[in-house]
Amino acid sequence: MQEQLKQALDFSKYRETFAIQRKTLKEKIDARLTYGINGGIFKINRELINFVQMLIGAERTEGVVLLDVNNNPILIDNLVEFKDEILDRYMTSTLEYYEEYQKLKKSRSVESLIAD
Amino acid sequence: MDNGIVIFAHNNRQMDYAKMAVVAGGLAKKHLGYPVSLVTDDSTVDYMKTSETYKNANNVFDSIILVDRPPQLQQRTFHDGKEFEVAPFNNSNRPNVWDITPYERTLMIDCDYLVFSDTLNNYWDVDQDILISHKYNDIIGQSRTGYHDTYVSDTGVKLFWATTVMFTKNDQTKIFFRLVQYIKDNYKFFADTYRFDSRMYRNDISFAIANHILNGFQDQEEYTLPPVFSTVDKDILVDVKNSTLQFLSSPTLGENYLAVSSKGNDIHIMNKKSLERNVDKLMELI
Repeated sequence: MQEQLKQALDFSKYRETFAIQRKTLKEKIDARLTYGINGGIFKINRELINFVQMLIGAERTEGVVLLDVNNNPILIDNLVEFKDEILDRYMTSTLEYYEEYQKLKKSRSVESLIAD
Repeated sequence: MDNGIVIFAHNNRQMDYAKMAVVAGGLAKKHLGYPVSLVTDDSTVDYMKTSETYKNANNVFDSIILVDRPPQLQQRTFHDGKEFEVAPFNNSNRPNVWDITPYERTLMIDCDYLVFSDTLNNYWDVDQDILISHKYNDIIGQSRTGYHDTYVSDTGVKLFWATTVMFTKNDQTKIFFRLVQYIKDNYKFFADTYRFDSRMYRNDISFAIANHILNGFQDQEEYTLPPVFSTVDKDILVDVKNSTLQFLSSPTLGENYLAVSSKGNDIHIMNKKSLERNVDKLMELI
C-alpha cells in the first residue's frame, strides 16, 4: 500500500508540473501573438485573420482602419502586407506551440518535462 | 526616435545588484536590440571594479550613469526558498528616471527581470506616453496570486507592477514622475488615504496611485505592458541549462516544492540570492 501511495504521489507531482509547463508554454505563445504597428497593438487570432482576409476579398486593401485591442482606430496603409505579417506570425507561433507541446506530451517524467 | 533601456542597480553588503543588472541588461540588449544604460553609484562601481563585472558592464551597457546613492531607509526580508535574511533595500530613486534617462523613449526594467523574447518591442511605437504592467502573472498560476498582488490594499486601487515601465520623455510624463516622487515623499499620507501598509516603500504602489490620480481618480487598465511573468522569492532558481531556467516552486509558498522550468518567457525572478548564484551561467546566454 505504501508503494502504491508513493507512486500516486509521484504521479500527482508529474501531473502538476505538466500543467504548469503547459500553462507557461501557452503564455509564451500568447505573447508571441501580439503585434504592434502604427501606434496600435493587435492580438493575432483567428478572428483578426478572418476579418482582414474578408476585407481583402472585398478589395478593401489600402487605407483601411482597424480597431486595436484598446479599440483605437489604427490606419493600415497596406492591408495585404499586414495580413502577410500576422499570418506569418500566427503560423510560426502555432507551429512552435505544436512542436513544444508534442515534446511535453511525450515527456514521462518530471526531469524530462523541465529539460531544455 | 531614440529608444533605449534603463536599469537601476545599487549594491549593498548582502546583494550584488550590479552583477544581476549586467545579466538583465545583456539579455535585454540581445533580445530587444536596443541600447541599455545602467544607473548606479560610485561605491557600486568601485565594487564592480574588483571583479569581471565592470568589464562585462562596459561590454553590455551603452552608458553607465552615476547618481547619488539613495539613502538606505528601509530593510527588507529577502527569502531564498525557506531561508531568509534581512538586508537594506535601495529602490527609492526610480522616480528620477525621467531626469536621468538618455533616451526619448525608455523601457525601465528591474535588474531581476530577464528578457528572453522580443515581445516588448511591440510597445515602442504604441501611441501612449506611459505604459506600465498592470498584472502579476505567477509561474504556478492564479492559486498563488493574492489580493494584494492585484490591489494596493483591501479597499485600495488596482496595483501596477513597476518591474517594466515604458515612457516617452515629454511634459506629460514629467508630471507623472514628479507625482510619483511626491507620493514617495509623502508616503505615509498616501498610505492613510489609500489604506496600504506604509512600512515598506514600494514603487509599484506609488506608480499605481500616480496613475490613478492622473486618470481623474479612475482605474485605467488600457494601455499597459504585458503581465509580469514571475517567480516569487520562496521559489528557487536551481539551474540554467542552455536557455532553460529550472526552478523549484512551491504552490503553498514554502512546502511541497515542484520542479518547473521556463524557456523563452520574459521572467521576473524575485529570489535574488538564487539569481546571484546562477549569474555566471546566465552570463553565458548574453
